[in-house]
Amino acid sequence: MSIPTTAAAPLQRLALLLFIAWRNLWRNPARSALTISALVGGLIVVILYASLLEGMMRQMVRYATEVTTGHLQIHRQAYIDDRDLYATLPSDYLAHIEHDLPTLHVAPRLYAAALASSATTSVGALIEAVDPVREPAVTTMLSHLRRGEASLGLSASTSSAASRYNVIVGAQLAKNMGVAPGDELVLVTQAADGSIGNDLYRVAAVLKPLEPNFDRMGVLMSIEAYRQLMSLESGFHELAIKLDDIGTLATDQQQLVDELAALQRQQPLDTLGGEAVVRNWQQLTPAVADMLQLSRSMLIILGFIVVGLASLGMLNTMLMAVHERSHEFGILLAIGMKRRWLLLMVMWESLLLALVAALLGSLLGLPLAHYLATHGIDFSASMPDGYDWGGIVFEPVMRGYLEPSQVVQACVLTLLVSLLASLLPAWHTARLKPAEVLR
Amino acid sequence: MLTPKVQVKGAVGLALLCLLLATALPVEAIEVGELVRHIDSLWRGETSHAAMTMTVKTRRYERSMTMEAWSRGKGYSLVVIRQPIKDRGIATLKVKENIWNYLPKINRVTKVPSSMMSGSWMGSHFTNDDLVKESTFEDDYDSQLSFTGSRDGQSIYELTALPKPNAAVVWGKVVMVIDQTTLAPYNARYYDEEGTLVRTIRFDHNSVIDGRSVPLHLYLQPADKPDESTEIDYSAIEFGVPLEASFFSLQNLQQRH
Repeated sequence: MSIPTTAAAPLQRLALLLFIAWRNLWRNPARSALTISALVGGLIVVILYASLLEGMMRQMVRYATEVTTGHLQIHRQAYIDDRDLYATLPSDYLAHIEHDLPTLHVAPRLYAAALASSATTSVGALIEAVDPVREPAVTTMLSHLRRGEASLGLSASTSSAASRYNVIVGAQLAKNMGVAPGDELVLVTQAADGSIGNDLYRVAAVLKPLEPNFDRMGVLMSIEAYRQLMSLESGFHELAIKLDDIGTLATDQQQLVDELAALQRQQPLDTLGGEAVVRNWQQLTPAVADMLQLSRSMLIILGFIVVGLASLGMLNTMLMAVHERSHEFGILLAIGMKRRWLLLMVMWESLLLALVAALLGSLLGLPLAHYLATHGIDFSASMPDGYDWGGIVFEPVMRGYLEPSQVVQACVLTLLVSLLASLLPAWHTARLKPAEVLR
Repeated sequence: MLTPKVQVKGAVGLALLCLLLATALPVEAIEVGELVRHIDSLWRGETSHAAMTMTVKTRRYERSMTMEAWSRGKGYSLVVIRQPIKDRGIATLKVKENIWNYLPKINRVTKVPSSMMSGSWMGSHFTNDDLVKESTFEDDYDSQLSFTGSRDGQSIYELTALPKPNAAVVWGKVVMVIDQTTLAPYNARYYDEEGTLVRTIRFDHNSVIDGRSVPLHLYLQPADKPDESTEIDYSAIEFGVPLEASFFSLQNLQQRH
């Protein structure tokens, strides 16, 4: 090997070593193929796991925000602390926010505890009053119906009874009370003026499971019906907000904080209710946010384990290959091959193995992940209502989500771990003593 | 409690024993069971009929309600709201361990589940349990005299009641201070399971009815909200009125308003 003094020389040398490494791999094709398939298997597992986890996490974020919570919520501090019925946000906040921040979708809500009674039983209930027009722009709550229709207006009056407001009840509540759409429901509560708020309602629909607590106690009604029942003329307990793009969450949250501060200056709030507080979905459902964080860490750890196991196989192959060729390497060293070139060559061999594995793994893993994303794993036979994890009810179909960057990350992980695993055989080679191995 | 196990033969012996007891023990010595029964039936008697006004003060509102109440023994009671107009006719009926509310506006009777017994009654600081006297010292608590003697210039008994192991009661401990001569309570302090004071009820405006001194004014103060209170003023109370068990029926509940 002559050593040209041009700048291109080191590159040429690398290319030459690469070529030799490639040829070396196929001197024992069966062994290389086995190693590659072990790495491919590991990579596919990581890709599929990442896809399933990403799918679950996306479903979780979607459920945490889309179904009931929204991306941001505004409350009074006293309402957050102990659900103080009187800690309401002034009604005109809604109009101000909608006017000043037109990109946000805002839905007002009111809550109250009550006693729900049917002809036979009574159970504690949580009334949630929503605006049937604005709510669908923020959450899909009103469309998650198991039975009945999403109507919160006045039902048509019949000969036997005057017209009543419609309500929608939680899945478990309906089951516990034995009510179905069309049935009558009595709600008794303590109204804001201290009197006994009581009225008759018509169950218009039964919700699908949304959130365990709400399923057990939730009763949805219109804000109009709520004001009549509760004698609470104005104000809202909660403003739920949806953004068009969750990417602008931080800036939108800050804008809202500024907006509320401006409103507070114009029209100071009473001290009993505390100040208005903006919280994002991660703050509102910390369990979900924590779980997402945990899942991501778990994915990285699991990826390392799987790929690490696969590259142990590679380590074995390379050690064998290097051992077999000790004699040959001895000759190369004896005729003047630099030790670092030899080291480089062995590392090239590992890297090439890993590269082929990454290519094949991605090619095979992508369609599999795609299948998971479109078809999913269906548990609906055993769990028709889905399953609840961390207070969120999941669909019974586990769907993957293919995030291309995760495939790239998995490949990079494979390459890195393989390179790391090749250091030992490469080091071994570089330390060969020609005189000993040639004897 | 204080009866010595002495074999007494003949009337002389008995008389002697009575004499001994009378001199050895103070006149105010009383059996706990008797005291507890006295307190339990103080506002109730065998049957009772009362009219009262309840005033609730909270940080957000103050309101008064006039009510009429009937009771028969431990098992039956009925309370009907007379004023204000908005709540008029709302009635609470207790028969044995069942409680119903009648709501005239919608003409429906709803059952109050036992899980709601500790809930606020009609927005006051009293609970459903207070109203219907679901629990009694005699049945649900183990009571003992924790103090007998003079305190703040008054001769009192201090009754400390701890719930029986399986009693479905709200409180962890109740301490009641009772006057020794009239046997009318001065005050009662209610503690939760952790031993924290939850509320204090003060009793005054005693009136002697059927030979018993009955406080006609109750003032309840929640410990955590010193600026809130609920007062009950009895404008009339009579005992021993003829009331059959059938009076306390769901049919009657709907007809009484």
